[in-house]
Amino acid sequence: MRRLAYGVVAAIIAIALIALAGAALGHSPRQLLSILVNGSIGSSFAIEGTLLKSVPLLLTGLSVAIAFRAGVWNIGGEGQFIVGALAAFLASRFGVVASLAAAMLAGAAWSSIATAMRMWRNAPEVLTTILLNFIAIQLLGWCVNGPMQESVRQYPQTDTAGAALPSLGGLPIAIVACVVAWWMLYRTAEGLRLRATGFNPFAARWAGVNVSAQIARAMAISGAAAGLAGGIELLGVTHRLFERFAAGYGYSGIAVALLANLHPLATILSGLFFGALVTGAGELQRTANISAAVATLAQAIVILILIVFGAIEKRRRWPS
Amino acid sequence: MLRATHVSKSFGATRAVDEVSIEIARGEILGVVGENGAGKTTLMRIAAGELPADSGTVEREGRVDLVHQHFMLVGELTIAENLALVDRARFRFSSRKTIEREAIAKIAESGIELADVSRRVADLSVGEKSKLELIKAISKKPATLVLDEPTSVLTPFEVEELFRVMRRLSSRGTAVVFISHKLPEVLAIAERIVVMRAGRVVEANATTAEELAQVMVGPIGPIGPIGRRGPIGPIGPMGVHFGEIVAIVGVAGNGQTELAAKLRDQLRDAGHIPEDRTRDGIVAEMTIAENLALRAKRWRKREAAGHAQQMIALYSIRANGPQQRAGDLSGGNQQKVILARELDRRPNIIIAAEPARGLDIEATRFVHEQLRAAASAGAAILLITSDLDEAFELADAIQVIYRGTLSDRMSPGEARPRVANLMAGIA
Repeated sequence: MRRLAYGVVAAIIAIALIALAGAALGHSPRQLLSILVNGSIGSSFAIEGTLLKSVPLLLTGLSVAIAFRAGVWNIGGEGQFIVGALAAFLASRFGVVASLAAAMLAGAAWSSIATAMRMWRNAPEVLTTILLNFIAIQLLGWCVNGPMQESVRQYPQTDTAGAALPSLGGLPIAIVACVVAWWMLYRTAEGLRLRATGFNPFAARWAGVNVSAQIARAMAISGAAAGLAGGIELLGVTHRLFERFAAGYGYSGIAVALLANLHPLATILSGLFFGALVTGAGELQRTANISAAVATLAQAIVILILIVFGAIEKRRRWPS
Repeated sequence: MLRATHVSKSFGATRAVDEVSIEIARGEILGVVGENGAGKTTLMRIAAGELPADSGTVEREGRVDLVHQHFMLVGELTIAENLALVDRARFRFSSRKTIEREAIAKIAESGIELADVSRRVADLSVGEKSKLELIKAISKKPATLVLDEPTSVLTPFEVEELFRVMRRLSSRGTAVVFISHKLPEVLAIAERIVVMRAGRVVEANATTAEELAQVMVGPIGPIGPIGRRGPIGPIGPMGVHFGEIVAIVGVAGNGQTELAAKLRDQLRDAGHIPEDRTRDGIVAEMTIAENLALRAKRWRKREAAGHAQQMIALYSIRANGPQQRAGDLSGGNQQKVILARELDRRPNIIIAAEPARGLDIEATRFVHEQLRAAASAGAAILLITSDLDEAFELADAIQVIYRGTLSDRMSPGEARPRVANLMAGIA
């Protein structure tokens, strides 16, 4: 419960700081806040925008939460998102289900490359996953400029995918994914062992847990969630692939997961919050001419505040 | 009475029973001992006619009935109904009253106490269920009765009761075969003991503990190289018999940690008590209930809390309750949580590294009692310790580890004058 309070406080502080920064630039904080709120949840149009932005954040946040819970630092959500979308595009002529399944498989395979490097050569996944992001970005760039470029060969983008979701069709899928992940983590013996692995892999190993298997599985599930996010974004929102397709969703997932304290159900709320923030920031840019980058700024502030809270918590528990 | 000659049986590539001959006389109580997977159960299932042998012959005089390790009962039916199922044809049109009257008669005849035959079997304790299995088998009036690990779920008191029943059966001419891996129990009841290892009978007429100890090779190792300034070759003979405690003593840093880690990876089903309890023993961030459930097959929150509550009482863990963070417990109580997790599933083999390090007198005594109890219940225990007092207090045999190499196995008496020099690498 205290953790939930921390998250809420962190979110409030982040928004307050943005408003203050706006004041420093000569805007009225009240006005900024009202634009932010109206732009994100003030109208049905705004709410739809918020939900649209939330779906990929929910899933990439879930992806990060599962990996971090198992103690593996998968920050390759961006790359897994991209290869997921690529696979979804290629499989889209077989229908939505096949397309999304391909997205999950591709995401899982991509993250598992990092697992394999960790198992064989002890390469830290913090590095390998982030490097795999760059490979995925370049791969996408090559695809949309080369073999997968649209048939009219005008822009560096693909044709429209062979299948489509309703624009908000991804929302129930994402929510179900979060609930399933919660059930798996907190209501099954394997989930218990996965969490134990994340907290203390040494003790887990002594208690008979196959730590490598837990890590490999968590990494694959994590990659699958990010891949699914990419597939849904393609089929439901963009319908085409282009170079800047991922738009940082993979990285934003880290903030989403941390604000949710790595809890799959809290990830739903946290994803909606950041979705609203991004949408509201877009409105700020249009009406008050403040860069939409404030949304990214807010993410960073949230993470910093949570780190401070974490340190305070630690000191409370073990006074030095 | 019952004679098996050159019986063999394979499951896939494994030879479960290999050219075994065995004979059981009328009224004899025969103990069959051996490790898990030694072929005891398979041999007796062949003898009882439950399994066909690949080769060899079995001669039987009269019925052979086998009471299995796992229950073959219908949980939804009452005790009386389960007993009536034994000869279904006779009870096809009987009233509940008749069935219950017959059941009470059968129970009385068996000499086993089991009250209120109208209870549903699913509501019985495991001890009562195993009694019911036994009554069922006895009611068939077998010439030979085979009991497969019957004591594993019984309290010491119930074991005594079982032994009385076995003696009574034998005095009436029934041959009784007692399969077990608990040596003390087998020695207490059996007139003759057969030892099996890897599908073969290695000793057919053992009668004393010493004879048994010689033929039963311990369940642990030979162990490969373990490092820590140690040799590259194997580290030498190592063996622990079931029911005994062997202490590996040495100055810290001579390969004990590596040895324990190696055994952890080699013997996954054994109970492991790690040396560094805060790092390796518990997950500080998780609750007591969660820590206790780490080896469990299923995780149901309420069930786990109930189990944890039991363990807290049984191992006298001082805690606020099952939901307390394990990291907030004192060192001694953390160790008790580890003991509860590792010992409560009654492993055959226990590897305990520095189990009482840093504990107060009371907690130390508790830990030692638990280890002794596990040994007398038949477990093989390897105690890795740098505390000589602990080693001499608990161990039946002592080996010294120095630079990754183990000394010969010594009795505590032999060890006392030599240990200091061996630990220093002088002798």
